Amino acid sequence: MNIANFPWLTTIILFPIAASLLIPILPDKDGKTVRWYSLIVGLIDFALIVYVFYSQYDFSNPDLQLVESYPWIPQLDLNWSVGVDGLSMPLVILTGFITTLATLAAWPVTLKPRLFYFLLLAMYGGQIAVFAVQDMLLFFLVWELELVPVYFLLSIWGGKKRQYAATKFILYTAGGSLFILVAALTMGFYGDTVTFDMRSLGLKDYALNFQLWVYAGFLIAYAVKLPIFPLHTWLPDAHGEATAPVHMLLAGILLKMGGYALIRMNAQMLPDAHAYFAPALVILGVVNIIYAALTSFAQRNLKRKIAYSSISHMGFVLIGIATFTDLGLNGAVLQMVSHGLIGASLFFLVGATYDRTHTLMLDEMGGVGQKMQKIFAMFTTCSMASLALPGMSGFVAELMIFVGFSNSDAYSPTFKIIVVFLMAVGVILTPIYLLSMLREIFYGAENKELISHEALIDAEPREVFIIACLLVPIIGIGLYPKMLTQVYDATTVQLTARLRDSVPSLAQQQVPTVSFRAPEIGVR
Amino acid sequence: MEEIYQYAWLIPVLPLVGAMLVGLGLISWNQVTNRLRQINAVFVVSLLGAAMFLSCALLWSQIQGHAPYTRTLEWAAAGNFHLNMGYTIDHLTALMLVIVTTVAFLVMVYTDGYMAHDPGYVRFYAYLSLFSSSMLGLVVSPNLVQIYIFWELVGMCSYLLVGFWYDRPSAADAAQKAFVVNRVGDFGLLLGILGLYWATGSFEFGEMGDRLQDLVQSGSISNFLAIVFAILVFLGPVAKSAQFPLHVWLPDAMEGPTPISALIHAATMVAAGVFLIARMYPIFEGVPAAMNVIAYTGAFTAFLGATIAITQNDIKKGLAYSTISQLGYMVMAMGIGSYSAGLFHLMTHAYFKAMLFLGSGSVIHGMEAVVGHDPSLAQDMRMMGGLRKYMPITAITFLIGCLAISGIPPFAGFWSKDEILGNAFAANPVLWAVGYLTAGITAFYMFRMYFSTFEGKFRGNETEIRHQLKSADAMAVAAGFKEPVPAFGPGAMDTRELAATHAGHDPHAHSEYPHESPWTMVLPLMLLAVPSMLVGLVGTPYANYFEEFIFPPSETLAEVAQKAAEFNQTEFFVMAGSSVGISLIGITLASLMYLQGKINPAAIAAKIKPLYELSLNKWYFDDIYDLAFVKGLRRLARQVMEVDFRVVDGAVNLTGFFTLISGEGLKYLENGRAQFYALIVFGAVLGLVILFGVT
Repeated sequence: MNIANFPWLTTIILFPIAASLLIPILPDKDGKTVRWYSLIVGLIDFALIVYVFYSQYDFSNPDLQLVESYPWIPQLDLNWSVGVDGLSMPLVILTGFITTLATLAAWPVTLKPRLFYFLLLAMYGGQIAVFAVQDMLLFFLVWELELVPVYFLLSIWGGKKRQYAATKFILYTAGGSLFILVAALTMGFYGDTVTFDMRSLGLKDYALNFQLWVYAGFLIAYAVKLPIFPLHTWLPDAHGEATAPVHMLLAGILLKMGGYALIRMNAQMLPDAHAYFAPALVILGVVNIIYAALTSFAQRNLKRKIAYSSISHMGFVLIGIATFTDLGLNGAVLQMVSHGLIGASLFFLVGATYDRTHTLMLDEMGGVGQKMQKIFAMFTTCSMASLALPGMSGFVAELMIFVGFSNSDAYSPTFKIIVVFLMAVGVILTPIYLLSMLREIFYGAENKELISHEALIDAEPREVFIIACLLVPIIGIGLYPKMLTQVYDATTVQLTARLRDSVPSLAQQQVPTVSFRAPEIGVR
Repeated sequence: MEEIYQYAWLIPVLPLVGAMLVGLGLISWNQVTNRLRQINAVFVVSLLGAAMFLSCALLWSQIQGHAPYTRTLEWAAAGNFHLNMGYTIDHLTALMLVIVTTVAFLVMVYTDGYMAHDPGYVRFYAYLSLFSSSMLGLVVSPNLVQIYIFWELVGMCSYLLVGFWYDRPSAADAAQKAFVVNRVGDFGLLLGILGLYWATGSFEFGEMGDRLQDLVQSGSISNFLAIVFAILVFLGPVAKSAQFPLHVWLPDAMEGPTPISALIHAATMVAAGVFLIARMYPIFEGVPAAMNVIAYTGAFTAFLGATIAITQNDIKKGLAYSTISQLGYMVMAMGIGSYSAGLFHLMTHAYFKAMLFLGSGSVIHGMEAVVGHDPSLAQDMRMMGGLRKYMPITAITFLIGCLAISGIPPFAGFWSKDEILGNAFAANPVLWAVGYLTAGITAFYMFRMYFSTFEGKFRGNETEIRHQLKSADAMAVAAGFKEPVPAFGPGAMDTRELAATHAGHDPHAHSEYPHESPWTMVLPLMLLAVPSMLVGLVGTPYANYFEEFIFPPSETLAEVAQKAAEFNQTEFFVMAGSSVGISLIGITLASLMYLQGKINPAAIAAKIKPLYELSLNKWYFDDIYDLAFVKGLRRLARQVMEVDFRVVDGAVNLTGFFTLISGEGLKYLENGRAQFYALIVFGAVLGLVILFGVT
């Protein structure tokens, strides 16, 4: 068989799922074989992802690649159709990376290990499928399928209020995804031909009114997932109850599904409606940034604090999507990847701290820095990454969104000034809540009650290794962002051009960065 | 010569390598790395030494007249947007490189003695190296974005180092305050950068300035907008160089170990603000209104810092306010267009203030032998006195520093300060008057500090004063003004010592009298005394080599030479004479009060009580900010959280709806039955789909 025609993506998606089915029959007494098995499966799949993209993917091609399409239910025109372009490819890699690390992070799980690792591997395939499928109905199916493992992971292994959190999660997301189904169906049946293929859907010529309705439907569904104010309140509950590995998946990957779908469907397929909704996205993004940052500052529960910080960071993604510039959209994708890494690392560390202090309330912590120097150092580094310290990925993403938005010609100067100002206020608020958090956990005189805990030991090598794995790309992207951006740049540039065509006032102009003056600098 | 330019990137990279290797060692092999104390130190110091050597070679080459050199690499790109990073070596950079590397090198040597007993010795060197790397990266930056990057990085290093003794709550607070206040400045800087990029489409200093001027002249950008952008950029230096109203973080930052206070909070990082103004000079120059704002901010800060320094009893706090005041001079010089003089003062100040801080560290180190590791005693000048007898080298170098900062010829500070004052007189008499008055106050408080520390009788064993200070400290704690400080200080972090001090007996307070510090501490002091005395001679008005080397980008060498030729000797004598005069008055007053005791300072303080209180309470800035910003933000955040919990969550949850229909509603859901049904329905649909697929 020709290596280029091999169904690579299907293999990548189905391999962990198939492997998960073997878990119930694995010979295993103490739960140790299962975890090694899952880890190895995860690693193989991740290696496969890297190999396939390295050998088969062409960075300079903005279109879908590695496309496979097999008819599944011809009566419904349902096809198993997968493919990746610059939007999905970084997220697929991120998924493989974070899920494998989450498996490693789940090492201490002792309650029902078989079921736990089964769900973890099932999620692995499901998440990649979300980013790779190119058929609307199929997308809806995998989107829904994805919820099931998360629901169980939350409701069985969560904290005290896990039932409430899991219920809220499933009601919000399942409720939201109804909108996807309705919107997808109406889009599919619109016009003369019935199709659910995303590319064909994107080429249909919809009436503006229709686009606006469908756009709104999608927006509600993805607003729950991303999350966007005011549909965000499931997230602190879910995050507040989840265990560390589930946390990593929630923050690292699940939130990105919302951002990805927002770009893929709302922006790419409904560009005319996007032009109408973009200002609303910007406003919602600003609200997300400031509102969530303030709430995070007031939170006394560590997990909820970080959960709100995730919401705050997702605001930048929204603004990036709505800039109508190469740079802004590029920054939005980068912010998703970057937050995936940073969010996962912070949540992992919160879990590690909780394992030692057995409390999440900041009032009961303090002065543990002496005993847990490595965790202290790692927590400080990751918080710095989260507050967008230069040299780490978050800074580059936020800077690109800042520059992209302030140079966007789609908005009036007054609007831009207000928005940029408020975004920058968010930049002041972030260190306030993150550094306060560090101060309250680690600084200060030793907390006698906590120090006497036997569990209060410094990080073990496994934990250091996980954080090191996450920090390498965080710092790598921060030092040389082109390393990542060049991978998807072609796609985002093409998409921006399409979006700009749909805005009447911009259609005739060139991309803004060259419309004013050549931005080339420092080349001598 | 070309090779050293090609390898100039090594200057910031070498210390970075040192920091990373030591840091990795600390994380991976903590015990081993911590045991290899001085090996780590020698490694880090020698890497910085290599960077220093390279920097000196570059400065020499620049003095010889080598053309500026820039090398860049594409760093980020998106569509048509390209951003390059790299390094540029010109006169200003070469000078800054030498200042930073020499001071950092000496501070690192000094650290070995000062931190000898600290368990965090190795970690401290790692941080120091990281800071040096960031600071060097800042000065070689070829564009504004790169400056912003390193600007934040030095801020982070400052955060780590101020909070170095992290089990002290006051250090934790100070570290956070430093970072957040600096972020406020960075907020302005970021907005300014974005605005300027939007207007000019460039991040490069020269290009930005030219284009902005063209745009304003052609009317495509209103003059108002240009002023706003320039002032926003200036907010960055306001925070970093501790200018009014964002100066509040610097005195608190003295919670960090003294070598840090010398390196970061006196010589290098805080001067980065002045450096940025110099770099952005092409922009500011074209916006006179912004220049005025800069000048007045600087002048006011100089006065503010000096007035607060008068009443400080903590030797480091006093020096911190003096730094604020001196930075005010530099900023004022920039604002009145006296580019060269401002940078000249930056250079002289870096050396003499680093020496003064290291000297104060030496004093504290000596005092700890008597009073134990308690910052409220060891740093308080009321406990000192007569130390010249016990620490002669420290005393002499400190005296040189005091003379330099007071502007007594031929010491370094005289030439730079006099040049600023001379230019201020020509530019704006009001600014000159403020600067002139401040010069007098400076001489007074510096010699107050010198006399009460090194002259007179040693008061360290007077139990009455000690109790008084301790009880004042305890009262402040009880009143909630101050967090309780664990009783150990610079040079010691061992928890057993902590327990011992609490037991009322300090094993380190073993001696009746203080002693001179070890050679690793004294040697840097002596080496710094040389530039503090002599470095001013490169910028005398008779032969101003400094100005021929450092001049604004808009001027040419010929213009500078022409200006120098217009030098008027009489005018110089009048100006210099008057400023030396007011300094001498300040010194005389200080000696009458604190050396000979002929005037009782307490009586004067009682007479002008409101003014005294104003100075003692630092003009109430901390209290006002606490009330307005810290408490205000907390309240706002709590309210937002309440709204989130009750209104947003409640509404979307439809809690009201459920309670109306049935109180059992939510409970039913929580049972899991509802979602179980949902799952079944969902599973059925899925099964159907698969079934369809198979057939």
